[in-house]
Amino acid sequence: MAKKESRRFDYKDVEGLQVYMSSHHMMLPAKRSGLNAREQRMLKRALKQARFLALLPYTV
Amino acid sequence: MNETRHTYQAMFLLENQEVRQKGFNAVRDGVRQTLEKHGITVRVLRLWGERAMAYRIGGRRRATYVLGWLEASGTAVNEAKRELYLVGPAFRCLFLREEQIPADELALGILAIGDNEVVIPDDNATDLDEPAPEPEQDPADELDAVGIGREEHRRG
Repeated sequence: MAKKESRRFDYKDVEGLQVYMSSHHMMLPAKRSGLNAREQRMLKRALKQARFLALLPYTV
Repeated sequence: MNETRHTYQAMFLLENQEVRQKGFNAVRDGVRQTLEKHGITVRVLRLWGERAMAYRIGGRRRATYVLGWLEASGTAVNEAKRELYLVGPAFRCLFLREEQIPADELALGILAIGDNEVVIPDDNATDLDEPAPEPEQDPADELDAVGIGREEHRRG
């Protein structure tokens, strides 16, 4: 069986990250994002990097 | 002691006021000199964009983002970061360890661009400007576009 390619998250892809954020700019839980544990960790890291560089807000 | 060198991706947030006064190339060269002073090899240093920040940092609303790909030791990165924060022109920077520099980035290198190519709007400008409304169009003009003459349209 072919291995499913895991998604990559980059802090520079602001629009791509916003898909996984709630209206209050909080990260969606894995249950709602549909990501596996590894991808969810990668998303968390990219989101925090984007927030540090003021590409995304912390909370509203 | 010989320290291990790694590849880093770096993003610098530059003061718009300084970029406006000195020009983008001069400010970018300032960052490059600071990095090289600490023994960092700068492979790529290019403009990533000028944009409104999601929140204010020290009263600033907008910043010029510069993306870099470097080869450095961990100590050199820390020292360069400290100097950039103290002396400027970067008021925030992020260094990330990477496996290798992508080929498309490496091809760009240290890209020189015309100072007038970097348009820096007013600090209070937002990126959420509404697009201008479309001008009202005469229905006959639309028909002209598809090959039916004005007269035929009026005749019905």
